[in-house]
Amino acid sequence: MSQSKGVSPPKNPPLELNREMVRGEFGLRVDELSGQKLYDCYQCGNCSSGCPLAQEMDILPSAMIRFAQLGQKDILLNSGTIWICASCFQCTVRCPKGIDIEAVMDTLRQLALEAGVDHFGPDEISPELAAEVPQPGLVGVYRKLST
Amino acid sequence: MAKVAYYPGCALKERSSHLDRSARDAALGLGFELDELETWTCCGAVPPVSSERVMNLIAPSRILKDVRDSGRKELITICDFCYNTLKRANYSIRSDEVIRKRVNAFLADDDPERTYLESDDAPWVDYDGEVKVLHLLEYLRDIIGFENLPAGLKNPLKGINIAPYYGCVMLRPEKEIKLDNPENPTIIDEFTRALGAGVVSFPYRTECCGSYLSVSSPDASTRLCYRILSSARANGADALVVSCPLCFYNLDSRQEAIAEAYPDFRPMPIFYFTQLLSLALGNGPEKQGFDMHCVDVSPILEKLDTPEAAEVGE
Repeated sequence: MSQSKGVSPPKNPPLELNREMVRGEFGLRVDELSGQKLYDCYQCGNCSSGCPLAQEMDILPSAMIRFAQLGQKDILLNSGTIWICASCFQCTVRCPKGIDIEAVMDTLRQLALEAGVDHFGPDEISPELAAEVPQPGLVGVYRKLST
Repeated sequence: MAKVAYYPGCALKERSSHLDRSARDAALGLGFELDELETWTCCGAVPPVSSERVMNLIAPSRILKDVRDSGRKELITICDFCYNTLKRANYSIRSDEVIRKRVNAFLADDDPERTYLESDDAPWVDYDGEVKVLHLLEYLRDIIGFENLPAGLKNPLKGINIAPYYGCVMLRPEKEIKLDNPENPTIIDEFTRALGAGVVSFPYRTECCGSYLSVSSPDASTRLCYRILSSARANGADALVVSCPLCFYNLDSRQEAIAEAYPDFRPMPIFYFTQLLSLALGNGPEKQGFDMHCVDVSPILEKLDTPEAAEVGE
C-alpha cells in the first residue's frame, strides 16, 4: 500500500512581487547592457538542460532568466550561478528564441562586480597554480570574476 | 615559401610553447611559413559579451589593424581563445556602427597623423574589420585542403584511435565564429582521419572542460574533465586531440586529481592537433615537447612504431 508523503514545503520562500519589480528598472538595465530581450524567454529550459555546469549551480540558467524578468536583483547578484558559469556559450547556441544567455550572465557578473568586491581576487590563487595555468585561463578568470 | 601572418598569443609563447613549435614545424612541412607579427599584445583572452565593454575590443582591433597596415589580408592563430576574441572583435566592428566608430576613435590615438580625422566630414573609420581571421585548422581545411594532406605524410598515424575534442570557444557562438556546426562539428574529425588515424566520436566532444574555472573552482573542472575523458575512453579512444591551450591544460594536468576522485579512471594522453600533424609529416617525437605533458604519451608512440598495430588499424 502506498503511503502519501504529503507535499514537501517549498525550498525558497515565495517571492514578493510588485509592479516596480516586474518589467522594472533592473530588468531594463540587464536588457540594455546585454543587448537581449529577457521577455523573449518562454522558459523551455533548453539552456539548463544543456549546461555542463548545471549540477554545480544553485539557480539554473533558465531560472536566472525568469528571476531577471521579475526584477529579482538580490537573488541574481547573490547567486553562485554567475560565478560557476564558465562562459562556454552552450546555452547561447541552443536557445530557440535566440537569446544570448551568456551575455545576460556576463551582464549579471558585471552588475555584481559594480559593488567593487572581487569574487576571485589576485591573492586567492596559489603561486604553483599561477605559475602553470596557461595565460587565457588567468586573464579569463580575472576578467570575469574580479573588478 | 609562402608566408602567412601569424598571431601566436601569450600562451603559445610560454606555457604552451610545444603547440607553437609543432605548428611552425608542421607548416614548414606543408610548404608555408607562420610569419609571426613583429609587434603584438595580448588579445584579452575573453571577448566582451555585454555591449558596454567597448574597451575590451581595443587590443584585438589594434592587432588586426596592424596586420592590415602591413599589407596583409589574412591572420592565422591557433589558440582557441585568441581565435574567438579576434574573430568576435572583427564581427562587432563589422556589424555595429556605433562600436565601429568608438573602436576607431580609440585606435586614432595610436596614429599621430590621424589623417582620416582631419575634416569635418571624415568617415571616422579606418579599420572596418577587413582582415580575415583564420584558425590554423581552418587554413588547413580551406586553403591547403585536408584531401591534400595524406600525400605528404611520411608517417601516417596508423593503428591508433583518436577522439577529437572541440571544447567551447572554437565553435561558439556560431553566429560570430562560423567555423563549423557547433552541435555536430567535423573539422578535427576530418583532419585526424586525413592523418591516417582512427577517429572516435563521443558525446562530450563539444562540452566545456571548465575553461578558467580550473583557477577559481578546480573541483568543478575536475568533474567536467572526468566526464569528457571517460566518455572518450568508453567509446574506444586511445588518446584525445585538442587545439586549445586551456583545454589541453585542464584535460592533461587534471588527470591526477581525477584519478584520486574516481578509482575507475585510467589516464589518457592528450595531443595538440599540430603535434599529430608534425609527427605524421616526419618530425620526430623529440621535437614535440612531450616532456611538457603530465600524462605520458609513450604508449601511443609505441603503438605507432609497431608495424603489426598498423595492420590492425586498417
